[in-house]
Amino acid sequence: MSIIRVNGLKKSFQGLEIIKGLDFSLNEGKCIALLGPNGAGKTSTLRMLSGLMKPSSGSIQFQNENIGKDIRQYIGYLPQYPVFYDWMTGREFLEYVGKLGGLSNKDAKTRSIELLELVGISDAKNRKVGKYSGGMKQRLGIAQAVIHNPQLLMLDEPVSALDPFGRREVLELLEKLKRTMTILFSTHILNDAEEVCDEILFLHKGLIVESGTLGELRQRHQKSKIDLEFHEKPEKYLNHLSERKLISTLNVEGNRASLTVTNIEEAKKAIFHEASVHNWPLTKFEISKLTLEDLFMEVVQK
Amino acid sequence: MRQFFILFQKETLESWRNFKWIWMPISFILLGIMDPLTQHFLPQILDSVGDLPEGAVIQLPTPSAAEVLTMSLSQFNMIGVLILVLATMAAIAGERKSGVAAMILVKPVSYFSFVTAKWLSTLLMMWISYFIGMLSAWYYVGLLFEFIPFADFIQSFFIYGCWLSLVITITIFYNTFLKTAGLVGFITLATIILLTTLTGIFSNWLPWSPAQIMSYAGGSLVSEGLPEHTIETIIFTIVTIFILLSLSVVIFRKKELED
Repeated sequence: MSIIRVNGLKKSFQGLEIIKGLDFSLNEGKCIALLGPNGAGKTSTLRMLSGLMKPSSGSIQFQNENIGKDIRQYIGYLPQYPVFYDWMTGREFLEYVGKLGGLSNKDAKTRSIELLELVGISDAKNRKVGKYSGGMKQRLGIAQAVIHNPQLLMLDEPVSALDPFGRREVLELLEKLKRTMTILFSTHILNDAEEVCDEILFLHKGLIVESGTLGELRQRHQKSKIDLEFHEKPEKYLNHLSERKLISTLNVEGNRASLTVTNIEEAKKAIFHEASVHNWPLTKFEISKLTLEDLFMEVVQK
Repeated sequence: MRQFFILFQKETLESWRNFKWIWMPISFILLGIMDPLTQHFLPQILDSVGDLPEGAVIQLPTPSAAEVLTMSLSQFNMIGVLILVLATMAAIAGERKSGVAAMILVKPVSYFSFVTAKWLSTLLMMWISYFIGMLSAWYYVGLLFEFIPFADFIQSFFIYGCWLSLVITITIFYNTFLKTAGLVGFITLATIILLTTLTGIFSNWLPWSPAQIMSYAGGSLVSEGLPEHTIETIIFTIVTIFILLSLSVVIFRKKELED
């Protein structure tokens, strides 16, 4: 069941086409990562989905609502750099946007307290937002995005500006929120996407270049890749293998070598054989899985 | 309607927290009482600071009470307008520039309420500050010269208030499509100056120009009854205010969605 469906979405600024036609739909209850290098059009895409920006052409349809209807009430959005009224306290801001989102005064109050607790800044609830640290603002940002119980939560680079601890906590928060709403978040940090997301949309130069679940992507792009690490420079040992045409590409970096092979079983046998016969100073042997990073590089360089 | 009230409440609270509710009335009080005081004490002031030869006699005609209150009005017309524009020029532009407008508008907030709540809260503050300032001017004129009938005072108060309301509306209007507060201030002042100058030059052809309001408000104090064209000018000004306000909402909505 898809929660939002996008058809032929395009956006241009002053004649320059930033988004060149997106077609996708997001499945309800999933966590989807919007990946892409800087300038790929991630923020513009999110802004259009959230109703902050009007597409130049194309349509966005939320569940069974009519195309072009105001869907802001179903959507929670956290911009990359959330800003608040510095003269309000964190709690006041939450109550304010809660009421604007349609909560009754009483509900806005209780929900604000709940959320401040959930995102872990309830100690600072009566402090002015102007005095908050970057991490606290990011958390307040998440709280304000979900205060009106949206069905779709969109976050623009929610963890890029955080330290490792903050990152961890925000990711855990997303895991929790995932149970009650669909989440779409943009990032260029691949680990994060791998950790919390079920599905991936790859955006590059305003187009979706790859999409699917992590498993599907792995299957599609899996290559037989072996990583080796030596005590010394590996070139001279690997010449033998190259001569036997087992290696299709070879990449050496310091004492490390990563090789793509045509037949993984044969290559494995050959390497072990060579290693024991010639007494290779081998410290590591690994048949590597395709990481998002590899995929990222592959897709971007295409 | 509830949403409008929530937004309006926030604006009022903000003006309270950043002390606009304090300094704005105080500024208007100062502007209002300056002229009655200086006019009354002018001979003494000249005596004590003037570098006049011994025995020189200064004879100044004592202005009438209505003339002094008109002077207070012209203070509002110069510095009062400047204060209002400076205090309003960032109303929307500032929030858009900082990005907080987007945080609010991504919630199901109507663009109409967003703009009109700002407009009305600024207008409320202007009318209250202006009333207090004008009342102090009237009181000091009464103490130092003679009391003007309260009904006449109220009449000129409302006539001139229309002009100040237009000033606020123009400022809000420019706010909806310019992102820099300074630019909003500059262009608003330029518009007002242009309007006033043109009206001054072509006053015979532009009897309904809102910039005439100042002279009509003064005229209503000095003479019996309202000067000619006063009612038409006020109606014209109020219509202009509502046209500008509607345009503001339309433009704001369009601008926000474009970028």
